[in-house]
Amino acid sequence: MLVRYRFWLLAAAVTLILPLTLSSGTLATEVLVYALAVLGCNLLLGYTGLLSFGQGIFFGLGSYTLGIMLTRTSLPMPIAVVASIVLGAVIAAVVGSFAIRQKGTYFVMLTLACAQMFYFFAYTATDWTGGDNGLLDIPRKSLALGGKTLIPLETPWQFYTFVAVIFLIVFAVLLRVADSVFGRTLLAIRDNETRAAAIGYHVKTFKLVAFAISGAVTALAGALHALMTGIAPLSNIEYHTSEMILVMTVIGGTGNLFASVLGAAFYVLAADWLSTLWPRWLLLLGLLLIAVSLFMHRGLWGVGESLWYRITGKRGGANGKLDTQGDAT
Amino acid sequence: MSHVPEVLIEASGIVKRYGKFTALHGVDLRVAPRTVHSVIGPNGAGKTTLFHMLTGTVPVTGGRIVFDGHDVTTEADYRRVQRGIARSFQVTALFQNLSVRENLRLAALGVTPRRALSCWREADGPRACASIVDDVLTRLALTRHADTPAGSLSHGQQRRLEVGMALAARPKAIFLDEPTSGMGIDDLDDMKQLIRGLRDDHTVVLIEHNMNIVMDISDTITVMQQGRVLVEGKPDAIRADDRVRAAYLGNMITGGRA
Repeated sequence: MLVRYRFWLLAAAVTLILPLTLSSGTLATEVLVYALAVLGCNLLLGYTGLLSFGQGIFFGLGSYTLGIMLTRTSLPMPIAVVASIVLGAVIAAVVGSFAIRQKGTYFVMLTLACAQMFYFFAYTATDWTGGDNGLLDIPRKSLALGGKTLIPLETPWQFYTFVAVIFLIVFAVLLRVADSVFGRTLLAIRDNETRAAAIGYHVKTFKLVAFAISGAVTALAGALHALMTGIAPLSNIEYHTSEMILVMTVIGGTGNLFASVLGAAFYVLAADWLSTLWPRWLLLLGLLLIAVSLFMHRGLWGVGESLWYRITGKRGGANGKLDTQGDAT
Repeated sequence: MSHVPEVLIEASGIVKRYGKFTALHGVDLRVAPRTVHSVIGPNGAGKTTLFHMLTGTVPVTGGRIVFDGHDVTTEADYRRVQRGIARSFQVTALFQNLSVRENLRLAALGVTPRRALSCWREADGPRACASIVDDVLTRLALTRHADTPAGSLSHGQQRRLEVGMALAARPKAIFLDEPTSGMGIDDLDDMKQLIRGLRDDHTVVLIEHNMNIVMDISDTITVMQQGRVLVEGKPDAIRADDRVRAAYLGNMITGGRA
């Protein structure tokens, strides 16, 4: 039992440690929100070998969808969240269907091009998105039924609890997806696409489904981010968001889902701490990224794993052999 | 089997052009079921290109391919797998980071790829294809290495697994592209036995440079040269054919035995 659910238990531990160690509920929520986005990215990069620079599209899309629905309609918030997820999956499938026509550099370029197009679309459609100013005054009401408050969302820590529950559910689902026959076929496609096609798999279908799942999770993160801050800023759909999600994914480590939680936590907390010390803290982050690229391809998770094996003196673990290396392109 | 057709694979007038270069100038090939049919010829004769055409890895420029009564000319490789076509590669193409068992499981499930689209079902139960995988592992003598990552196997073992990947799909026809390439002398005999054993349940189309193996296990041999079929016949006839001797520059064709 413990071994089987060890990654979920680790994630659950993180959701408990954050409130015990941080004083700001918003900062703790931010960690989990970005962890969700990074999970979506990891599914593409770590499991399918697709380096997508378009994750910001889905993140921003989630923010806008939720923002527009909550500011223009009186629909309940959960419906807006679900709508964001669905739209995220659909748009990711559309973007994916263009991008996966190519491989390698041209795949990356196509995701970049899509990211630019969606950014300028959001920038231009000021009536809907607020353009440069962003979409403001997104309400965050407590969930009530018949006048009785069911789930209070007023304070940052109340909202954190709400996000933590969603995060743990999504994490459990994604663990299952990664372990499913589908997830394992993705790993095979990542390893050798030609062979995967030669033994009967329509590679594009698998990539497309991976894209849709990734888009759904990333849009959910974007929607929760908009709920958390009360705004859907233009920066959420900007190229920089795509880049940030990718950097978190690589720093955490690819191919293991819990690594994504580590990557997001590390980035968000380091950014919060370093930015108070030195406004040019991104420079330090650059150095770390160089270190990861040069010496630790499996990211923070890989370092942690190596240390663990050194301490306990054993190698492999339950399915250590199936843990994948993080040098996909 | 209710009926055994006389011809399992019928390729007619296969043409392949890469830009101005013509790799195949209208090749005809008929393969009878339950036989080992070898395709030989000097380097650059178009053997591997012909394989790519027959298995759908690369589309044809012209010609027609009928497999088991179905016109598969325009079908992509992953679709032909469902018709019963499986192949191995000249350059080993395994899932290096995945275990031997997982490699074979993927190959076995590839025949019904829809079942691999489930994002919920784990790879146990029917989707583990356990009995097929165990069978193939035994045949390859790789049972002991079932949990080893494919990339960590020795070269000879990887070449055997390469054949096993085709076998796990339980195909009607197995296309083997130089299964012994780069193999040491000790591994050759194992491979020969393995291929010979395939004929009982499958049709084997084989590209091979080792004439000893080709002459020993083939029912029919097609000799190719410069994108055309030079001659086709039984091993003895091929060994005695003057044109083949000329194409092969001396005694390479006889494996030094005649």
